[in-house]
Amino acid sequence: MVTDTYAVEVDDVAKRFGKQPALDGVSLRIHRGEVYGLLGPNGAGKTTLIRSLVGLVAPEKGTVTVLGRRMPELEVLAHVGYMTQQAALYPDLSAEENVHFFGAINGRVDGVREALELVDLWDRRKSVVSTLSGGMRTRCSLACALVHKPDLLLLDEPTVGVDPQLRVQLWDRFRKMASGGTSILVSSHVMDEAERCDRLGLIRFGKLLAEGSVAELKARAGVERLEDAFLKLSEVSPA
Amino acid sequence: MSASRVRAITQRLLHQFRRDRRTLALLFGAPLVILGLLGYLLRGGGDVPKMGVVNLDSGPLGGVVASTLENSKTVSATGMSQADADAKLGSSEIAGYVLLPSDFSVQAQQRRLVAPEVHLEGSQPGLSQSILQSISQSFVALAGQAGGVQFAPRVTFLYGGTSFDTLDYFGAAFIGLVVFFLVFVITAVAFLRERGQGTLERLMASPLRRAEIVLGYMLGFTVLALVQSAEVLAFSLLVLHVHNVGNVALIFLLEALMAIAAVNLGIFLSMFARTEFQAVQFIPLVIVPQVLLAGIIFPISTEPGPLQALSRVLPLTYAVEGLRNIMIKGADLSWSSLQLDVGVVLGFCVLVILAGAATLRRRIA
Repeated sequence: MVTDTYAVEVDDVAKRFGKQPALDGVSLRIHRGEVYGLLGPNGAGKTTLIRSLVGLVAPEKGTVTVLGRRMPELEVLAHVGYMTQQAALYPDLSAEENVHFFGAINGRVDGVREALELVDLWDRRKSVVSTLSGGMRTRCSLACALVHKPDLLLLDEPTVGVDPQLRVQLWDRFRKMASGGTSILVSSHVMDEAERCDRLGLIRFGKLLAEGSVAELKARAGVERLEDAFLKLSEVSPA
Repeated sequence: MSASRVRAITQRLLHQFRRDRRTLALLFGAPLVILGLLGYLLRGGGDVPKMGVVNLDSGPLGGVVASTLENSKTVSATGMSQADADAKLGSSEIAGYVLLPSDFSVQAQQRRLVAPEVHLEGSQPGLSQSILQSISQSFVALAGQAGGVQFAPRVTFLYGGTSFDTLDYFGAAFIGLVVFFLVFVITAVAFLRERGQGTLERLMASPLRRAEIVLGYMLGFTVLALVQSAEVLAFSLLVLHVHNVGNVALIFLLEALMAIAAVNLGIFLSMFARTEFQAVQFIPLVIVPQVLLAGIIFPISTEPGPLQALSRVLPLTYAVEGLRNIMIKGADLSWSSLQLDVGVVLGFCVLVILAGAATLRRRIA
């Protein structure tokens, strides 16, 4: 829909909850078709940053631009898929009914089968969500986030509770979507996932401490393993 | 059975409540509010029923009865012409009047039997009872003067009648109340569940507008509420045979409006609760006072003054009054009193719809 180079532009965004700073002057860019990994410990500000991208958090300072539109803006959200940390589904509806509903509120219901097949739930489509296992719910939640074929996919710790086999499979799908032009922002604190991203941002205490490809970050920290690079680059005291 | 394990559960419960100030406040505050309200209602020196005395007696005894009634503490009686009395009865300004005919004294002295006409408004049985009692008390005074006079009033009802029982009176109000109450609770809980399971967050991260969410909810629950209203109405009229002289479609219209109001009140108030448990706590705060003050059990005209003012701003008051106007008095939309009732309930609907839509965004962030 839009031809800007960036899928996401965040400029100097700050947000506090009470006195606690959740985001403290964060700026980042995500290119079209890029898989960007947001890496950081619990409470670092990952979820707040993602929520600010969909207008659920209003920054006190700075600007957020998504797919070329200055946020908050409702219409652009039809081109954004958002998978929350918690598998946000209607437990009384079947997997298919859930996916159909989230497609419908975003104006597209033609991708229900494709989305369910992508997460290997097509055979279980008639199952009521409350009878699904935790991993299946996570997959169903993912299907809900991409049923409307978004240009930008925001995944908040999408592979928590997903077994390794399926995790590999999902990442293959993410990569495939990215090569098809979808931009993906994925938050995680799992290092082997981070290795699969085009670029990484290390976030801690609401600040973006370092940014770059896996190789760049390792080189900057002068270490072999990404985990060590993360620990070294995030050695700062809270503001 | 381990005492320490039982104690662990007991302690945990008490600890949880210590953090949940709201539940504590409700637990210890709500009973005082409800009982206090009830006490004030019953002992707060409310108004007594209003009645008229039409004294046409050419002899002296009519005057005795009239002055006894006018001095009575159990009713507020005023002397008036019959035309005046009929008009006031029609507009429910007085709950009834007694007509003392021109030969009242003659009858009492010669035939030892008085049979005055008593005209009752009849839509509120409590008031009718008080008036009949006061009238018969006033004849005790007469018996002292005339000696051994029998009292046989000829009672006529403007609305209802002798076959009119308590259910007929309460039924009209409860048809609305049941729907209002259940729809409110179900909507509030459903909306909080949407929040608790995280799906509301997803809705807010979609192109959905607030008004679309509220409208979608409203329509969905309204469908359920209308089916429920129809069921309640059919059961009341066909199985319980609750007295109805009005248009069933009008009753349904008012019920539907109440259901829509309840849906939106549920959406709006769920903003002030974090859990489904807290939503249920709105029942003693929102529902019970309305039940006490909406004129369902205690006629508003006999409430203490300040409570009457409060009753007059509660939307349920108008809904109940409207249902009674239709079912007991046979009112239609050409009646100004029913226009007011429907208007207030409609206004309340609009108000809670706007309030619900306006506060929706806040509950996410």
